[in-house]
Amino acid sequence: PRSALLIKMNVVLAVKQYVSKMIESSGTGMKVLLMDKETTSIVSMVYTQSEILQKEVYLFERIDSQNRESMKHLKAICYLRPTKENVENLIQELRRPKYSVYFIYFSNVISKSEVKALAEADEQEVVAEVQEFYGDFIAVNPHLFSLNLHGVSRGRSWEPITLPRVTQGLTSVLLALKKCPMIRYQLSSDMAKRLAESVKQIITKEYELFDFRKTEVSPLLLILDRSDDAITPLLNQWTYQAMVHELLALNNNRIDLSRVPGINKDLKEVVLSAENDEFYANNLYLNFGEIGTNIKNLMEDFQKKKPKGQQKLESIADMKAFVDNYPQFKKMSGTVSKHVTVVGELSRLVSERLLMEVSEVEQELACQNDHSSAQQNVRRLLQNPRVAELDAVRLVMLYALRYERHSSNILPSLLEELQSSFLFCIICDLITPTDAVAITKQFFKGLKGVENVYTQHQPLLHDTLDQLIKGRLKDSQFPYLGPNSLRDRPQDIIVFIIGGATYEEALTVYNLNRTMPGVRIVLGGTTIHNTKSFLEEVTSSVGLGHGGDRTHGAGRPPTRR
Amino acid sequence: MASGYPPPLEGSAEVKEGFLCPLCLKDLQSFYQLQDHYEEEHSGDNRQVGSQLKSLVQKAKKAKDKLLKRDGDERAETSYESFYYGGVDPYMWEPQELGATRSHLDLFKKHRAARIDHYVIEVNKRIIRLEKLTSFDRINMDGGKIRALEKSVVPWVSDQDVPFCPDCGGKFNLRNRRHHCRLCGSIMCGKCMEFVPLVLAYKLTSGTREALYVAGSPGHGAPPGGGGLTVQQPQASRRGSISSLSSVSSVLEEKDEDRIRCCHHCMDALLRHQRKLDEKDHVPDIVKFYERLRMCMDKVDEKAPEYIRMAESLNAGETTYNLETAGSLRLEVQKYYEHIDALSKKILTLGLKDEVQPHPKTLQLQRMVRYSATLFVQEKLLGLMSLPTKENYEELKEKKRYEQQHRQAALEAHKRRSEIDKSRPLLSANGDAPRPASGPRMTKAGSWLPSSEGTRSHGELDDPLLQQIDNIESFLRQARAAGRSDEVAMLEENLRQLQDEFDAQQTSRAIELSRRLAQEESLQRSQISYLQQRELESRAAARERASDFGEGKGVEEAGEREGDRSRDPDMSPELRPPQTIKSFPRLPGTSPPLQRDECTMAPPAGEAQNSGSTTLLNRFDEEDSIPVEEDPMNPFSKEIQREHHQATVARDEEYNPFEDEEDDVKETDERQDGALGRNPFEEDDDDDRGNPFKDTPDEMLPVASTNPFEDDDDDSAAMDELIEEELLLQQIDNIRAYMFDAKLNGRTDEVELLSQNLKELQCTLQEQKRKTH
Repeated sequence: PRSALLIKMNVVLAVKQYVSKMIESSGTGMKVLLMDKETTSIVSMVYTQSEILQKEVYLFERIDSQNRESMKHLKAICYLRPTKENVENLIQELRRPKYSVYFIYFSNVISKSEVKALAEADEQEVVAEVQEFYGDFIAVNPHLFSLNLHGVSRGRSWEPITLPRVTQGLTSVLLALKKCPMIRYQLSSDMAKRLAESVKQIITKEYELFDFRKTEVSPLLLILDRSDDAITPLLNQWTYQAMVHELLALNNNRIDLSRVPGINKDLKEVVLSAENDEFYANNLYLNFGEIGTNIKNLMEDFQKKKPKGQQKLESIADMKAFVDNYPQFKKMSGTVSKHVTVVGELSRLVSERLLMEVSEVEQELACQNDHSSAQQNVRRLLQNPRVAELDAVRLVMLYALRYERHSSNILPSLLEELQSSFLFCIICDLITPTDAVAITKQFFKGLKGVENVYTQHQPLLHDTLDQLIKGRLKDSQFPYLGPNSLRDRPQDIIVFIIGGATYEEALTVYNLNRTMPGVRIVLGGTTIHNTKSFLEEVTSSVGLGHGGDRTHGAGRPPTRR
Repeated sequence: MASGYPPPLEGSAEVKEGFLCPLCLKDLQSFYQLQDHYEEEHSGDNRQVGSQLKSLVQKAKKAKDKLLKRDGDERAETSYESFYYGGVDPYMWEPQELGATRSHLDLFKKHRAARIDHYVIEVNKRIIRLEKLTSFDRINMDGGKIRALEKSVVPWVSDQDVPFCPDCGGKFNLRNRRHHCRLCGSIMCGKCMEFVPLVLAYKLTSGTREALYVAGSPGHGAPPGGGGLTVQQPQASRRGSISSLSSVSSVLEEKDEDRIRCCHHCMDALLRHQRKLDEKDHVPDIVKFYERLRMCMDKVDEKAPEYIRMAESLNAGETTYNLETAGSLRLEVQKYYEHIDALSKKILTLGLKDEVQPHPKTLQLQRMVRYSATLFVQEKLLGLMSLPTKENYEELKEKKRYEQQHRQAALEAHKRRSEIDKSRPLLSANGDAPRPASGPRMTKAGSWLPSSEGTRSHGELDDPLLQQIDNIESFLRQARAAGRSDEVAMLEENLRQLQDEFDAQQTSRAIELSRRLAQEESLQRSQISYLQQRELESRAAARERASDFGEGKGVEEAGEREGDRSRDPDMSPELRPPQTIKSFPRLPGTSPPLQRDECTMAPPAGEAQNSGSTTLLNRFDEEDSIPVEEDPMNPFSKEIQREHHQATVARDEEYNPFEDEEDDVKETDERQDGALGRNPFEEDDDDDRGNPFKDTPDEMLPVASTNPFEDDDDDSAAMDELIEEELLLQQIDNIRAYMFDAKLNGRTDEVELLSQNLKELQCTLQEQKRKTH
């Protein structure tokens, strides 16, 4: 009964099961996994190398790689996005097959004509399987997915090539989770409407695919636009995953530590995956203070389990104890050094960039209503040379978002202080179209029940979802696409944010999932933002040229990333 | 018990099997019924038995693969649990079916079939023609005749129709003459012409031709390179014909004795066909090794669990398995590991000595195979526990038997005592003092039973588990005699599980009792003397009074107890700390056990517990005495002592949850002191130089020791402190729970680690408290 209710909403497991199925179906023998750039990311998020090695997959190749040797003793499992280039490459591959047999899986819908073209290339009858497995998205957490797409908008509308890709990604999530949802979208965003229609179109066209067992309450897809909440991606974060992304940038669960002073060469790039790192899995959503304690415990644990010196391994009992502990020890030593390094670097950045102070002021800006105090604090921090440029920018932007309409605002002088005129445009862009009411409402929310001064802020998404779950989300602001609407409260919710979600929002959804019985929410975004990538996204959308590197423009020490 | 057994051998109707209630032996049909029954009938019983049932339930689930599933409900439920991952958030890890899929294979095959048919026909046609072209003696035959034959195989395209070479577009003239493909009859220029060597031709047609014929063929004198291809043989002179009707002499000259001309389309098709044939027969070395490697791995997967089962059983001193069998199985498994290592090494170095180094991808493949084999060995081999030596095993067996006998003795003593209890009212009516009578008898049993072998009477075993063990053992003997290996294996498994169960049950009972003893011993002694006194004083009225002793006179007793305690000379001072009294009200059944009449009265909640604890009390007495008696000869005495020591400490801890931190620290301190002397792992060896694992930790330690969370920012320090204190308390609770668990399962090493951990945590907490106040 419990299990019957709570199923089929885990995106990581969904992709993992797809990959496992592919490998299993290919039988025994040595295998090679043939992928493209995107499917490589997709698979690497759910499977580690050693895990996949156990399934006899020994090589990982890119379909577009020229440097592949003919190895007729290998079976090839192809997992590819159904792009033109991939199909063309595959046709070439089949004409002159390098492997004995091909199991072909596309991550999305492929046209009949392309199937025909492939079939005609397979003169040697090497193809044993052709299927669609809809893992066309990056599964980050069990309830969080990304499409790894940046710069999806131009102005207020879709970058032409990205709308189809986002549609594909989103429909593949629906297929992987076996959901045929009703769709609601944010009325204030034309992009949300367009995407909703585009998804609906696919559902209609592929109605056979979307013919799932009916549930009592239809699932719901809610499409939002980042522009509705520009504050959340501007805040410093204090939970582990979010903080790592904000300060060190998570990219497909990997972080680049090569710029950390005195870094061990084994740790220049580390993987943080809850799938195979228990410490990370347990601390993902804990705050910095708690992680500090836990990492200390981990260290102590490690020191105890650490095998004692050679001379101590004299007796058989010693040997046995060593051997008994060895596998865990090895695993643990990797985990320990990794997390100690990561947390160490985080705390170095926190103290170097005065992030505690910065964050406090950010939270004050976001959640309280005291202009004179806010203005003083922002100015004070801007004058402090230890505050990094990125943090200065975010403070000014938060100030602008919050007090732009305030009669005695000091925005011009702050901008002058920043010496960064282009920022002004971004700020203008962020402010004007955003629903001022929503923002204001949000600002006052934090006042009640403050527990931690650094984590007062609740993303707007929390409110939106809370209202949605309670059946109070206004149809006038979030209309249904089509004539039908949900009579009951929603149970299975997929919420997608155009322009990128954040890990703070992921945390919010995680907590909602835990506290709302019977409700399952999966969050997705065109990408997962930190402040830097968000600024880049905005910059590219406004058309201020190429990339956000200009944020590092004038007068300040460059941000340390 | 909670698990169903496969139907035993024929003729065993009297066997109790299936879902037996652990308390009343009633046979329930399913696990759920058992659970319901238990809740209805025995819900008032001692909680500890409840946890026993729970552990049984878990065991039963674990064993579900091996044991029969008796109802659909269970299956439906267990099918979910196999999906459970330990990972992120259990909530999120609920099982889910595979996402949507769509197959295009049928469509693909349909399109391919059309193409393939065409392709296959073309190739086959060419091969048939090739066969015809090579089926006559080319060397000795006249050129013109050959040409006529060739033309009969396939009609040649007429020269006039083809003014330009269709492949290169060159114009045909006197210098650039026309050539005909003998396989399809088409025309090409000399440059575009290719040759099928006869060797290849024979090979391709060998499917349709007798091998003998090939060997005897005159054209097959010396195959260049042993069947290898030499397609583009350099041509010294290549004279084609101006027209197909040109001079005979030129035809003679260009007579191809050991090759057949063809166009490159035909050549391509033939070559591809040939490659396919090659691949079909050719098995590269890596595949041969790899297949053997996988076979060894499969064997390990099959044998290792079997061995581990045996080793665990043997190391526990059980007699389910034979030491020699296990030893040879161990050797076998180790042999496989050696094979795996050797084979994967061979794969790793394949082709490295060749002149032409293998392709980097090949090398990568070899490295990966080796790597995964290494992982496999690391993971599995290192978990392979060792077997006891013969002497060790004898000792283990002895120990086990000893323990079992003690348990048995305890059980029998308990039985006897409960019989006595039953008849006690009578006795007391007769003026006997019951308690003194049962006390000495028990001690006697403790010292007497071990020396007498075979007192275990199979017929009248009290414990349903023992009964079942006994039954299974006899089946096992029968099955062995009958040579039914399947059943033997099954029964062995059953037996092992039962024995585990029994052990666990006994251990947990003993522990439960021993925990209680810390409080109860003193209490009971005082009660005994109190009772004795009392009974002596009022023998005549014993019957009435005795029945309401426990319930009615609690307050009065408490007062008396205090007084008694000081009078009791035997009592060690640790056994009556003030905490005993503190926790006393929490024990529902502290009334004198002698007051009960299990059979005649419907047992209220407290009663059953009480009876259980009495049993345990007795056993504890005996076990306590083991080390003392056996000390000089028993090799385990040290261990036992240690366990005992820990158990004592544990007892104190368990039952004094409210005690001060200092007390706790002191206790763990004491234990630590004791442990340090014995345990080589406890010593601090930071000065180690030769430790290969040192390098990483060394680099990391400074990072951690200058822990940024404690002293970097004042702001953060304040925040962290608050969190930490709460966490510390939580952690302390957790560790206590772990310790208890570890003790229950006899993992003494872990207990030591944990206790140290606990000590440190408590120190930290103290420090915190000092700081904040």
